[in-house]
Amino acid sequence: MRICFLALLLSVALQAANTAIVLNSADETVSIIDTTSYNVTKTFRIGKEPHHLMVTPDDTYLIVANAASNELVFLDRATGEEKRRLKNISDPYQIGFSPGNKYMVSASLRLHRCDIYSGSDFKLLKRIATPKGPSHVIFDKAGAFAFVTLQDSNELTAIDLEKQQVAWTIPLGKQPAGIWMTPDDKHLLIGILGQDYVQVVDWRARKTVKKIRTGAGAHNFIPVGDGRHVFLSNRASNKISKIDQQTLEVVDELPGPGGPDCMDVSADGKQLWMTSRWIRKVTVVDIATKKVVKQIPVGRSPHGIYLYAHAARK
Amino acid sequence: MWEAISNQFALLQSWIFQILVQPALYALGLMSWDELAFDGTELFLIGVIELALLYVIFRPLELLAPVEQWPNRREANVDFLYSMITKLGLLPLFFFLVLTPAFDYLNGSLRLAGIIPPNLEDFVPALKDSPVLSAVTYLALFDFFDYWRHRLQHRFGIWWALHSLHHSQRQMSFWTDDREHLLDQMISGAWRGMLGLLIGVPPAQFLVVTLISGAIESFSHANVRLSFGAIGERILVSPRFHRLHHAMSVGHDGPHRGCNFAQVFSFWDVMFRTANFDATYHPTGVSDQNEGADYGGGFWAQQRLGLRRLWQAWS
Repeated sequence: MRICFLALLLSVALQAANTAIVLNSADETVSIIDTTSYNVTKTFRIGKEPHHLMVTPDDTYLIVANAASNELVFLDRATGEEKRRLKNISDPYQIGFSPGNKYMVSASLRLHRCDIYSGSDFKLLKRIATPKGPSHVIFDKAGAFAFVTLQDSNELTAIDLEKQQVAWTIPLGKQPAGIWMTPDDKHLLIGILGQDYVQVVDWRARKTVKKIRTGAGAHNFIPVGDGRHVFLSNRASNKISKIDQQTLEVVDELPGPGGPDCMDVSADGKQLWMTSRWIRKVTVVDIATKKVVKQIPVGRSPHGIYLYAHAARK
Repeated sequence: MWEAISNQFALLQSWIFQILVQPALYALGLMSWDELAFDGTELFLIGVIELALLYVIFRPLELLAPVEQWPNRREANVDFLYSMITKLGLLPLFFFLVLTPAFDYLNGSLRLAGIIPPNLEDFVPALKDSPVLSAVTYLALFDFFDYWRHRLQHRFGIWWALHSLHHSQRQMSFWTDDREHLLDQMISGAWRGMLGLLIGVPPAQFLVVTLISGAIESFSHANVRLSFGAIGERILVSPRFHRLHHAMSVGHDGPHRGCNFAQVFSFWDVMFRTANFDATYHPTGVSDQNEGADYGGGFWAQQRLGLRRLWQAWS
């Protein structure tokens, strides 16, 4: 009996370790994929316009931000099972927790606002009107600022989290999208969707220090997991750039067919999984051989993706 | 089979978008619109397929059991242009470029004032889990609001000045559904957009609702001698039922300034006592056309004269 129970636990643990969770933003569904067999094991409705996802600070749940449903849905990270639904979170396109988890910031791309919530109980603290198209959010290490790209006004804005107001705003290239902070807390890397580069901003000096040429439609980041490199998806040129965060150079390129968007790296660092936005598929690339090993049909306009067994977020 | 068709469609949409649309957006510095443009590409393709299907299915029916035989289709053919504009160009563009930003602005202002417009699913959670129930509910709701919009189009003189263009067609065919003054189309779009904001209709459902209602409305305008029977006529709008709405001296007169206003579900007319189940197939048109009123023969003349009628009604 005890052996059976242990076997069952082991089986559940193994199954859980092999899960990918994908948000199909135009279908309002979530696809659960077995990362070993590459089969979609389950698809279920989640809510309107699920775009981005984020793990809770205690690493317990995966939060799906349903932009048009005005809600956050908490899923079991391993199975995708719904655990909780939090209403009245206005138009959450992308969310992020400040280091220390004091605040959760929600960017409302469509409605041109950023909302600051308490990171512990999700109580709304402040709603801030911004210029057009607040898109992606990142924080400094101290958790003093939230940096938000403004996709339609071509700017970067810094929100002072204690004062809960905009501290400063600077111009960027056309349609800035994904944003990433280098490990030394010095530079912001910003994917310039309307052009072909990553804009490097020294946020303390509030100035651009470099433009790293990557590919048309530079879009979003995910760390490789080695603490030094990040992958960047180039949506219009269908490729992935590997960027060295120390030298601020492109060191490698991978294929990214069908409009690559969000990505995740497998725990063993061997595979890069990405949503291929324009072809209704998830694409899996072998990082060493730079070959597409699998394309998995999912729903319409797949956006956020999460691997249960993922590489370190550093 | 459906999956195979859907996959082929997705491939075509992706190919057109990545080869033509996205490079143009990139060159013009409009990449912020790429996700909307991707949806727009889908809408355009669906429009092309819809137009082809309408012709393949409804044209043979019109040949098989026509209500009227015309010596030529000169007047009917003008309506095809309206269908092209509505299904392939103007309406999607207007929806994406004007209505969406306008309603997003309104929506954003409400949020800043502390108001989050509710979603229908907040009141009926079952809709979240059933795409079919959800589609039927949204279809019925939109149709209910369209019924009342249509009543107002006949009730108010200034709105009728525009809407009468739709009724001036004497060669009514399945293309006539889209024969509306451009200004009238925009007002109708705003009406629907407002409802979308109120009940939080998702884009996927909006597309489904638009497709189903568009197909039924095209069919109801077909030059076909067809009734859905005693019960069916009280549920769904048939070509016979809707022809009475277009009937000269019948469809635009009386205490309600017309009858059979429903677009998809005829039970709205039954419910609000505006249904007419007379089995006669009347000629279509507006009464004043018998007294020489000119609604224009071609597209631009019809648009110009519509504005003139509006001005006259206004002043």
